[in-house]
Amino acid sequence: MSCQNEIILKVDNVHRAVKKNGTTVNTVDGISYTFNKGTIYNIVGPSGAGKSSFLRLLNRLDDPTLGEIYFHEKLITLYPPTELRKKISMLFQTPYLFEGTVRENLKYCCQHDDKTIAEILSRVGLKPEFADKQAEDISGGERQRVALARALLLNPVILLLDEPTASLDPTLSQSIERLILELTKNFCLTTIIVTHDPDQARRLGGNTLLLVAGRLIESGPTDIVLNNPTTDSARRYLNRELI
Amino acid sequence: MIETGYFQVLAAAALAALAFILAKVKSIPVEKDIAFGSVRAFIQLIAVGYALEFIFKLESLWLITLAVAIMIVVASYTASQRLPKSKRPFAVSLIAITAGSVITLVLMLLLGIITVEARYIIPLSGMIISNAMNGGAVAFDRIGSDLKANRLAVETSLALGKNWREASNRFYRMAIKAGMISILNFLKTVGIVALPGAMTGMILAGASPLDAVLIQLVVGYMLLSAVTITTIISAELAIRQYFNKAEQFTG
Ligand SMILES: Nc1ncnc2c1ncn2[C@@H]1O[C@H](COP(=O)(O)OP(=O)(O)OP(=O)(O)O)[C@@H](O)[C@H]1O
Ligand SMILES: [Mg+2]
Repeated sequence: MSCQNEIILKVDNVHRAVKKNGTTVNTVDGISYTFNKGTIYNIVGPSGAGKSSFLRLLNRLDDPTLGEIYFHEKLITLYPPTELRKKISMLFQTPYLFEGTVRENLKYCCQHDDKTIAEILSRVGLKPEFADKQAEDISGGERQRVALARALLLNPVILLLDEPTASLDPTLSQSIERLILELTKNFCLTTIIVTHDPDQARRLGGNTLLLVAGRLIESGPTDIVLNNPTTDSARRYLNRELI
Repeated sequence: MIETGYFQVLAAAALAALAFILAKVKSIPVEKDIAFGSVRAFIQLIAVGYALEFIFKLESLWLITLAVAIMIVVASYTASQRLPKSKRPFAVSLIAITAGSVITLVLMLLLGIITVEARYIIPLSGMIISNAMNGGAVAFDRIGSDLKANRLAVETSLALGKNWREASNRFYRMAIKAGMISILNFLKTVGIVALPGAMTGMILAGASPLDAVLIQLVVGYMLLSAVTITTIISAELAIRQYFNKAEQFTG
């Protein structure tokens, strides 16, 4: 577990302002945090807290209106965006598959061979034959897993997952969790995962960040954040929404 | 046909009056447009008639250029309405329409199809510029609506490490195709479904149908060139406005 001592991503006083009905609001409001390699980070918080907005800053789909982000101690703006996004791969909250077959979707980034594609499909719990299905014919849960497979094929160092198991049943959710844990352990992958399920956060362990109204109000080892929150608003949120 | 004069035009105005009455009786809310449009067309065309008489008599290269420039500016302004204000629509359409029309006109001069004479340049420019304007406007429309509706698809490509061009290429090509549909349909059906304006005009003015057809072919190819160039440049410049240097989709 020596790889965990290395800092991979540092977020420094990051803000993201957007115009909403004529007024400017900070969907991300001054977040600072340091992410280590080979660790899992759960991001929890009420709907509209800015979890998705925060993830989008990390792979530069958006830029902060204030503050800096460092990847391997270098400003992320110094990397070519296309290269950065392959190293920091993201799975959207509502995954999109391109028209065509599952195979075409999986080959979209880097033309992997059929063996690799069969392998990655089995890792997300799908049969090799699944590659030949039309993307529009598959279910929401299958779609989510294909999109996860596609994100993994980029061979990222950091994986950003926005509620990746939202449309999966408990058995499938847990197999995805096992996959994340295994990749973390074997390849020193860093995973930042948005989840609404406290049990999922507990199973994944690692650290948990609690966001409310764009602010990071609580962070630390998952057990501590979920069981003994220090702030009132964290306690309120955890009582009502998570537990 | 009888020689057309002001009397014939006034007589034809009875047809416009008929349209007006029909709309009124059926209470279709276009009577105002019909009345206003008919009067406007009269004033506009008479004014243009006098202006052209003037330009044709003088044969001044300056005046010809000025007339073409005015047409281009008006067409660019009209096409620019089809792209959101934040996307620099006027500059984009001015470049696209100017390139499409000027390149086509210059090629026609170099190929010896026309000479620098007002009676060629002015009417042909009119056709070229209005068709280019429509092609560009349709491409703008398409890019605006497609990118808006497919934000998730575009950002999925970007998130998978593709650059803005790869992420938007599909919509770029569709926009160009959409902008060209009208001229392509025109070429397919010309002479069968509709006799185009230029040809009709020549035949009405007494030219032989065969002469009219030859001119129409020249016009058809000319329009194809102008529309293709303008539509491609319109789509190219417009789609760039939706992305920034950081390969981000800016909506
Ligand atoms: N482009 C935008 N323009 C205006 N407002 C936005 C934009 N993107 C996000 N927002 C607003 O920012 C806030 C945070 O949104 P975000 O999607 O990040 O929340 P979230 O924590 O992911 O919520 P959920 O759990 O429902 O997915 C919301 O109030 C949202 O309406
Ligand atoms: Mg979200």
